[in-house]
Amino acid sequence: MALVKANPPGIPAVGDGKPTPDGPASGLPPLIETGPSVEDLLAALDAEESTTRRSAARALATHPEAAMALCDRVEIERSPSVRVVLFTTLIRLQSPEIAARLAGLLRSEDVALRNGAIEALQEMPAAVAPSLRALLADPDSDVRLFAVNILGALCHESAPEWLVEVIASEPHVNVCAAAVDALAEVGRPEAVPALQALRARFPDEPFMTFAIDTAVRRIEGR
Amino acid sequence: MVDPARSVQPPPPPPLTDEEYAKFCEFFYRKTGIQFQDNKKYYVERRLVERMTKTGSSCFRDYFTMVRFQVSGEELQSLVNTMTVNETYFFREDYQFVALVEGMLPELVRGRSPRQPLRLWSVPCSSGEEPYSIALSILERWDQADHWDIEIHASDIDSRILAEAQAGVFGARSLSRVPRQYLEKYFVSLGDGSYRICDDLRQSIDFSLVNIVDPVQAKRFRDVDVIFCRNLLIYFDDVGRRETVETLYEILVPGGYVCLGHSESMSRMTSLFVPRKFGDTIVYQKPQEKAP
Ligand SMILES: C[S@@+](CC[C@H](N)C(=O)[O-])C[C@H]1O[C@@H](n2cnc3c(N)ncnc32)[C@H](O)[C@@H]1O
Repeated sequence: MALVKANPPGIPAVGDGKPTPDGPASGLPPLIETGPSVEDLLAALDAEESTTRRSAARALATHPEAAMALCDRVEIERSPSVRVVLFTTLIRLQSPEIAARLAGLLRSEDVALRNGAIEALQEMPAAVAPSLRALLADPDSDVRLFAVNILGALCHESAPEWLVEVIASEPHVNVCAAAVDALAEVGRPEAVPALQALRARFPDEPFMTFAIDTAVRRIEGR
Repeated sequence: MVDPARSVQPPPPPPLTDEEYAKFCEFFYRKTGIQFQDNKKYYVERRLVERMTKTGSSCFRDYFTMVRFQVSGEELQSLVNTMTVNETYFFREDYQFVALVEGMLPELVRGRSPRQPLRLWSVPCSSGEEPYSIALSILERWDQADHWDIEIHASDIDSRILAEAQAGVFGARSLSRVPRQYLEKYFVSLGDGSYRICDDLRQSIDFSLVNIVDPVQAKRFRDVDVIFCRNLLIYFDDVGRRETVETLYEILVPGGYVCLGHSESMSRMTSLFVPRKFGDTIVYQKPQEKAP
C-alpha cells in the first residue's frame, strides 16, 4: 500500500465530496475565545513536560497581564525550545516594561539567554527605545556593545542618529567599531562627518580606519 | 416592463478612510496572520467594496460590524477567500520534491516499523498542486513507496480554493511542468486544454480547512514527518513567522522536516530547527530534544 487517506483526529475532511465554497468559517478562530484561565496557564509554565510549558507560553500571548511572570520564567527556564517560545510571546506582548526586563538579561553569563534577549529586543523597536539610552550609557562596555548590536538591527527611525551619538562619545574602541559596522548598514549621509571625526580618536587602530572607510563608502553608495 | 424601483442601483459604497483601512488591516491580521502594507490599500479596498456590494452593505462600518459579529462566520470566510493570494503550480521548486524522495523519506524510514505510517502535510496547499506533486513524486520516484502507508494531508485557510483542490481540475499554466507520461497516467483530458487528476489520487489526499495561526486548529495535527509550508510566511510579519514555525515544531515528530519556499529562510526566524542540505535545497529538521 502506498498512499492511504486518514483524517487527523478532530479534523473533518473538507466536504467529503461536497465542496462548500463559502461555507462556515470553521477554519477561523472562534469569536468568543474559550480556553484555560491565565492562572492555569501560569501554573503550566512550571510543568514538568517541556511541551506543556511551550504550549502555555504560547497561549499566554493574548494575556498582557502575564508579562512579568513570563519574564521571571525566561530567566530560569533551562530548555532551549521553551525559551524560544517564551521570547516569542514576549515579543507579541511587547511593552517598555518587558523591554526593560529583557535589557537586564544582557548582563547574563548565559550566551543563549543573552542572545535570545538581544534578538527579542531587536523585534520591539518602540518598546526598547526608552531602555536604550540607559544601556548605551551602561558602565559595562559589554552591555554597551550589545546595545549597539540591537540598534544596528532595529527598525527604528532614530537608530542611525543614536549610532552617531555613540561614535561621538563612546570611549571603548570595540563598541565604536560595532557602531561603525552598524552605520555601514543603516547610516545616512548625515553620519559621514561623525565617522570622519572618529578617525582622529583611534589613530593607532588600523581596523578602525578600514571600518570607517567601508562605512563611508557604503553610505555614499560607492 | 422593468420595475423602476428595481432598476435603480444603489450608489457604490464609498471607499475606505485611512483610519478604516488601518482598523480593517489590524483585524484581518489578528484573524489570519496576513499583513497588508499601506501599498496594498487598492488591492484590499477593491475586494472590500466587492464584498460590501455583494452583501448590500451601505458603508464600511455596517459591513465591518457584520463581519465581526456574524455568528456563522460565513462573511469572514468569504472575505478571507477573496483576500488570499493562491498562486501555485505543479512541481513548483521541484528540487524539494526530489529532496523528499531521495533524502528525507529514506532517512525517515530507516529503522521504522512498517506499521507506522508516514505522515506528510502540505500547508498551505492552495488549489492542490503541491500535495498532488508530493503524491506524484512519491509514486513515480520513490522505489520504497509500496512498502509504506503514506498519508498526505493538505490544508488551507481558503475554503473556495480547497474545493477547487478537491475537484482536481487544472489548466495548462498550472500543468506546464508535469511530464507527459504523468499526464497520461494520472490525468484525464477534459478536451479544453485542462485535465482532471484521477479519482484515486484525489481521494488519497485528506483536505481540510485550517488556519495555521490558530494554534488550537493547527495542533489537531500531530506526529507529522514532513511539512511543506511554502510561500505562506512571506505574507506574515516577523513575530507571526516565529509563532508559525513554533507551531510547526510542535506538530512534527522529533527528526521531522519542514520545507519552506526559496525566499523564506528559517535562520532569521528561529533557532529551533537545524538546517539540512539535500542536493540543491536546504530544509529544516526538528532535533531530538533532550531537555525535559
Ligand atoms: C501562494 S499560496 C502557496 C501555495 C503552495 N504552498 C505553493 O507554494 O505553491 C498561499 C496560500 O496560503 C493560504 N493562507 C494564507 N493565510 C493562511 C493561514 N493563516 N492559514 C492557512 N493558509 C493560509 C492562502 O489561502 C493561499 O492559498
